[in-house]
Amino acid sequence: MTDLNERYQEKNNFFKRIALLYVFFGFLFFLFLYQTFTLQISSYTDYELASIENKTKEMLIQPKRGIIYDRNGEIIVNNVPSYSLITKPSQIGNIESHIEAIKVFIDISDDDAFHAKENYKRIAKLNRELTLKNNLTMEEIARFETRRHKFPNTFIDERYSRFTLYPELFSHSIGYVGNLNDDDLEQILHEQNLKPKETIFVYSNGYIRGMTGIENIYDKKLRGTYGKKVYEVDAAGKLLNEIEIIPSINGEDLYTSLDIESQKVAFDQLNNRRGAVVAVEIDTGSIVTYISSPSFPLNPIANGMSVTDFNKLLNDKDKPFFDRAGQGRYSPASTIKPAIGLFGIENEIIDWNFTINDPGFFILPEDNRVYRGWKKGGHGEINLKEAIIESSNTFFFSLAYESDIEQLVEHLSYFGFGRNVCIDCFLPDKGLLPNPEWKMNTLNFGWFKGDTVNLGVGQGYLSATPLQLAYYSAFLAKKGELNKFSFVQQDIDASVDTFISKNINNDDWKKLHESMIGVIDSPKGTAGRLRNLKDFTVAAKSGTVELVSTETKEDYKIIRETEGKRDHAIIIAFAPMPNPKYAVSVVIENGESGGSVAGPVAIEVLNTLLEND
Amino acid sequence: MIKLLNLFKKKIYFDQYLFISITILSIMGLLFLYSASQGNIETTIKQSFFVMFGLILMFLLSQLDPDFYKNNASIFFLLSIFLILITFFFGKEVNGAKRWLDLGFFTLQSSEIVKIALPIFLAAYLYDKALPISILHTFITIVTILIVVNLVRIQPDLGTSLVILLAGLYILFLAGLSWRFIGISLTIFILSLPFIWNNFLEPFQRQRVLTLLDPNADPYGSGWNIMQSKIAIGSGGIQGKGYGEGTQAHLDFLPETETDFIFSVVAEEFGFIGVCFLLITFFFIMFRCLYLALNARDRFCRLTIGGLSLLFISTVFINLAMVVGIIPVVGMPLPFISKGGSSLLSFYIAFGIIISMATHKKLMQK
Repeated sequence: MTDLNERYQEKNNFFKRIALLYVFFGFLFFLFLYQTFTLQISSYTDYELASIENKTKEMLIQPKRGIIYDRNGEIIVNNVPSYSLITKPSQIGNIESHIEAIKVFIDISDDDAFHAKENYKRIAKLNRELTLKNNLTMEEIARFETRRHKFPNTFIDERYSRFTLYPELFSHSIGYVGNLNDDDLEQILHEQNLKPKETIFVYSNGYIRGMTGIENIYDKKLRGTYGKKVYEVDAAGKLLNEIEIIPSINGEDLYTSLDIESQKVAFDQLNNRRGAVVAVEIDTGSIVTYISSPSFPLNPIANGMSVTDFNKLLNDKDKPFFDRAGQGRYSPASTIKPAIGLFGIENEIIDWNFTINDPGFFILPEDNRVYRGWKKGGHGEINLKEAIIESSNTFFFSLAYESDIEQLVEHLSYFGFGRNVCIDCFLPDKGLLPNPEWKMNTLNFGWFKGDTVNLGVGQGYLSATPLQLAYYSAFLAKKGELNKFSFVQQDIDASVDTFISKNINNDDWKKLHESMIGVIDSPKGTAGRLRNLKDFTVAAKSGTVELVSTETKEDYKIIRETEGKRDHAIIIAFAPMPNPKYAVSVVIENGESGGSVAGPVAIEVLNTLLEND
Repeated sequence: MIKLLNLFKKKIYFDQYLFISITILSIMGLLFLYSASQGNIETTIKQSFFVMFGLILMFLLSQLDPDFYKNNASIFFLLSIFLILITFFFGKEVNGAKRWLDLGFFTLQSSEIVKIALPIFLAAYLYDKALPISILHTFITIVTILIVVNLVRIQPDLGTSLVILLAGLYILFLAGLSWRFIGISLTIFILSLPFIWNNFLEPFQRQRVLTLLDPNADPYGSGWNIMQSKIAIGSGGIQGKGYGEGTQAHLDFLPETETDFIFSVVAEEFGFIGVCFLLITFFFIMFRCLYLALNARDRFCRLTIGGLSLLFISTVFINLAMVVGIIPVVGMPLPFISKGGSSLLSFYIAFGIIISMATHKKLMQK
């Protein structure tokens, strides 16, 4: 019986214990089921998304930039295909030996090799492509093709370059494209609800954006929209098949008002002298000519040039990168005189019959300081018209002397001085229209009467860019009403500046125009030498910017030994009279004579524009 | 007909419930493996030979009388230890581990044999010991377990050694280990955990535990496997992505799809519904074993059925808990589903023995 009892006890004990273990495992399986439920049902969407993200890889497709045309529909900047040797750094262990291996049969310049080594790590991390050499020749392509099995991570692809047929004509107006930094890329893609990721490039130099000029101002329009390619990938990142493709949308083409012919003429006329030419269509305010000289070659800047060549340009004492047309500051000198004359009439200080006796100098009553004219002995008894034709300083000294500086500044501001006159220019300078407040704040000096007198002949603190001078010229031509300047005609009517006056009527404008025609046509005109060059009746006003004040011609002869101290030559002009279509401004640094040096450039540009119409 | 069936029943020893459920599980396993191996027909055919052979083996082993196992337990056990030992010398080295004996037609994982032999040996040793088990017997049992566990651990095969440890402890516990001893040793174990952590675990094993606590800490490093497994399971949803459509499995995001992580493939392709179906099958086997254990003819049979079925349950749970991220990653196959002949056969052997223990009744009971 004890045996049976013991047996029963043992069995009972076993039951209890195995039940305990089963309960324990029951609990564990419940825990497992709960975890599975959480994964598959509660958090399903998260994990579904994670699994989709795992197996898909999105790649961006770079769009092609829009083509830029001139006003006659001629292509200025285009996308041209070239062949590039491209490698995937993320799949290459050692870039140096890789380059050495390729160098055996394709010449890779030291610059290219340096660039590749420099960027190798960064590009590898971002899983982007590294261009080893652009613009391969057919021979180089053939040499690579026979060895391509040795380089599975390197390939030749057709890539585009931003290219212009007129390498130096549009360097400052159209500007160049350059590489985009990561922040900008992120910003641009963000506008499209995209994020930076591996990209299928269209351009040989990768991500590009407009850096300067029209390429920069109209970047958004030209840029286009990135497309997207979605691939299925495995865990190793291998592309298996294409799931979806959203094609990129090419950028919009841009029709500018620039005129290739007049650009050529202006560029040739300047002939690498330091200076600028800006010409506009008066009716619309559209810029047709925009040249800053000397220029730089656009194609290599946009698509890569050697460091030595680049440094040479950068260190050139003539500063080819500097946009003299939009950013160079020059005193308007005598070209200001028509505006000063209008001020006298508007404020009833003078009329067209008013005369003064010009002895060749003006003495400021306050301190007996002498302000000289350019002609020894003076111009004698002269009125406003003659004062403009002969460019009498004394007339305008005394007129300015009678003027209220605040009123004069307000008046000059109408003509574009001291403000931005262009809608779509790249970083235009405002020049300087000085007033007493400015002088006090900047120079810590009070305004002297002499400052006003200097303003009367466009010297002193006053400065303007060639762009502003062109605006001034067009404003005079259109009799005080002008659209803001632009390179691209906007759909909405551009803002119009109107000269508000009480006393100036059409007759005054006519007389002013006649005076400016006289600058060339009158026997006493300062730009008489242009008479035989022009094919149309041209109104003009020349100016000579004194960089160093001299008492006599003998003094100036010493000064001009240093080229940099010679006077700047300036002219503004518009034609054909009496119904002008184009206005132009020309500045030639250290050109000495507005009429005979800057003048011919202006006339040739006007001739070209008018003859081609 | 019924007569014939009765005749049949008298002559053979057969549990239709276990046999059918294991067969269903095996067939499901082959289907899953076909998908998990990226449609590798060779792997699947090889596995199906093991399944067929295993089912026959299971049937044959269940015909033997429990006394045969009881009387020969020591021989089987020593033989399995011998297999382990020769593995050290002649074993095939894979990834720095010597676990396999190359038999020409089949590579045998020797630890899978001792996994079965040890609990039977312990059951045979303890079945006639008085309750509660004396300190001496407890000591002998524990030393035996630790020797076997360490032999497997140094192969190294942490997963199997863990299961062997559990199997041995289950027998000891079911046989009537005194509660006092359990209480004392549990306390000691818990107190010595920091010591074990610092001295017995390899750095990669410690990393696995840490990874479990925060798999997102290093998603591309040690957390990768568990992360991808969770994504696979989670993205299966209720209905799953469909047979052969699991992207996690087929695009190589999931590691070890044929072995340790085959459940993730099932969960991804068949969803929560498939998971539940699989679990129900396991549960059915589990509770059928409990029923059989409770109705076994004597103490040896009870202990053996209990020990082997708990071994099976533990293996299933460790695998499932690992792939859903409840416990650290440890190499553990899912019984009857994962690829691998040795593991597969060991469970057919285990269930053959279970059925033998359950179906042989003694007319004359003491």
